[in-house]
Amino acid sequence: QGNNVLARRATAGMCFYCLRIGYEVVTVKTPAFAESVTEGDVRWEKAVGDTVSEDEVVCEIETDKTSVQVPSPAAGVIEELLVPDGGKVEGGTPLFKLRKGAGAPKAAEAPKAEAPAAAAPPPPSAAPSPPPPPASDVGPIPTTMPPVPPVPAHVKMNRMRLRIAQRLKEAQNTCAMLTTFNEVDMSNITEMRKTYKDAFLKKHNIKLGFMSAFVKAAAYALADQPAVNAVIDDTTKEIVYRDYVDISVAVATPKGLVVPVIRNVEGMNFAGIEKAINLLGEKARKNELAVEDMDGGTFTISNGGVFGSMFGTPIINPPQSAILGMHGIFDRPVAVGGKVEIRPMMYVALTYDHRLIDGREAVTFLRKIKAVVEDPRVLLLDM
Amino acid sequence: MMSNVRRMVSLFKGVCRTRTCPVHTWTSGAGLVLQSRSTDVFQNLALEDWIEANVDLRQRGVLLLWRNRPAVVIGRHQNPWTECDLQAATKAGIHVARRRSGGGTVFHDLGNLNLTFFTSKKNYDRRRNLKMITDALRRVRPELDVQATDRLDIVLNGHLKISGTASRLRRDSSYHHCTLLHSADRSALSAVLRPSTSGIHSNATPSVPSPVANLVDHAPTLQWEELLEALVDQYNEEFGCTSALTSIDPSDEASFPGIGLFVSELSSWEWTFGKTPKFSVRTVLDLSEHRSAQLHLEVKNGLVASCQVLVPPDWIPQSLADQLSQVLVGERFCRHGAAAAAVSTLLRLDGTGGRLEELSKAVLRAMG
Repeated sequence: QGNNVLARRATAGMCFYCLRIGYEVVTVKTPAFAESVTEGDVRWEKAVGDTVSEDEVVCEIETDKTSVQVPSPAAGVIEELLVPDGGKVEGGTPLFKLRKGAGAPKAAEAPKAEAPAAAAPPPPSAAPSPPPPPASDVGPIPTTMPPVPPVPAHVKMNRMRLRIAQRLKEAQNTCAMLTTFNEVDMSNITEMRKTYKDAFLKKHNIKLGFMSAFVKAAAYALADQPAVNAVIDDTTKEIVYRDYVDISVAVATPKGLVVPVIRNVEGMNFAGIEKAINLLGEKARKNELAVEDMDGGTFTISNGGVFGSMFGTPIINPPQSAILGMHGIFDRPVAVGGKVEIRPMMYVALTYDHRLIDGREAVTFLRKIKAVVEDPRVLLLDM
Repeated sequence: MMSNVRRMVSLFKGVCRTRTCPVHTWTSGAGLVLQSRSTDVFQNLALEDWIEANVDLRQRGVLLLWRNRPAVVIGRHQNPWTECDLQAATKAGIHVARRRSGGGTVFHDLGNLNLTFFTSKKNYDRRRNLKMITDALRRVRPELDVQATDRLDIVLNGHLKISGTASRLRRDSSYHHCTLLHSADRSALSAVLRPSTSGIHSNATPSVPSPVANLVDHAPTLQWEELLEALVDQYNEEFGCTSALTSIDPSDEASFPGIGLFVSELSSWEWTFGKTPKFSVRTVLDLSEHRSAQLHLEVKNGLVASCQVLVPPDWIPQSLADQLSQVLVGERFCRHGAAAAAVSTLLRLDGTGGRLEELSKAVLRAMG
């Protein structure tokens, strides 16, 4: 027992001594400038509290069209910046203070509990300190940190999320939102795509996808059921009918939902629609979508299928009255002409504002979309 | 490092242009002259990085000759929004790049020759390099009145700038690069070299505008190839070597291993825009019916750090304008992309077609 106590005290002493050596603070000065240049502007790359390794660039000094890098003379932590960013310096001007020694607590020789005072100031890049090991005298001094119990992450909801949530809830309360479903046999459209995809790519320089079929089908159905393309103005208690079809296409990005709009779809063919979708997709990818690209929209199409969803109820994107949800295409056994066949099937959902659109209109609308996608000749024959 | 140099040697041996250059003259000579086959500004800037990182400059210097398709190249510590009209540049297909060296903004095109002198820190001598250039010019066109100034520009007839200089000094190496206007398109230049938006207050390195001229305006018969050959000859004479012009392809990852990483970094948003010293934007937004709002933005690392939009109290509630401000914080200082998406979401929630929409669009127009 006695030996163990002695061992711990000796280690504490050694530990404290080692840590004391690491406390040396050096002041780094501006290097002399070449070719009789007298002064320059400092541009900081690192901030107070940053851990740097030997030779890592701490700042750059711009002198007369020359950018000079100032590296750290040793590994350590930036203690103080002595010149503001953009400030002027001459050769020899003190630039910054560096606290030498390894920044983050690496494999410590002694348990942290033995020298709690020596831990200050902790470098910001260090992991949260583990709880001190029990002060028992069992066994040798541990050389690794005890495991840290996971702390549940409490992230405050940002204002935008709160606002969206609030507005969606309001929409649910004002609209009488209902969803109607149907399923689409994708055989014909798949076949059409297979037959024409190479020639399409050659002529139009873009791929032929499925979205154009649904977008065109929606435009066709909206022309047939104007109530679905209209919206209730709650302030004036009027129904606003629109004679143009601007379709919002919901795109999920890491930062949230983005809804670019394809304008005047009623006058476009499949090729035109694919081009528009492609252009918007490119812009979204290159972060070039302008706010005008996302204005307005009379109807939204959301494709959950890209994430593999089979079935789901989309939520209306205010201020519109309906939204079409597309889902994944899965082979299913279906009854065709009295026999069981395997067909590629997609479930589609239409969520609508029942104050404006009655059940019959909603079902007819969805059936029209189904009819067009299952057989695009319907468009040519205006059926 | 040696294996990379050996690869460059074999490349060199394969494509020697004017003279045969056995390896021993190359290794014992004091210089190597390279010409990039690429006209992509990011690849060429990456090539500078690669040479600096991989070639041992203690034994010999390297001269790299290059030119780019139209591009705006800003200095290391400059603000791209003040130096360049980014919307106009994008529309014209002109790239915007930030180089590693200091100094001001330059417009690059195929009529503008770039020369990079790579040397050890010991042999860093910008005036000697510029003297080499003026000597070369006088050699091919003795009637040209060209000289280097105190500011390390080269001027024609005493006042017309034909070359600007910038450099980079690191622990063990240095380079000095400069432009040389042979036949650049000056009209394209003026269309983009102006601020993207008004009201920017910044302490970034400013550009000093000067009247410029092309060499062909004063020596119409001077061909591009003739100019290059004169420079190579003069370089060899000045630095005591016998190097011929070697053509290289910086897109060849096999010859320049790791160059792709430099290209990625140099063409990233984080480098080009994120490295801008912090600045503020203070401007008045004109609204309909002769009303106006005040905008104050702080931008750090290219991102909106804070935003304040002050509106007349009877126009829309200040709280609504504040919601707009909050939505922009943390987004890139750019009217497209994430900021536009955030604004569009806000408008979908809180009312389109109204004054908030007008205000939002005015604020976005003031952003880069």
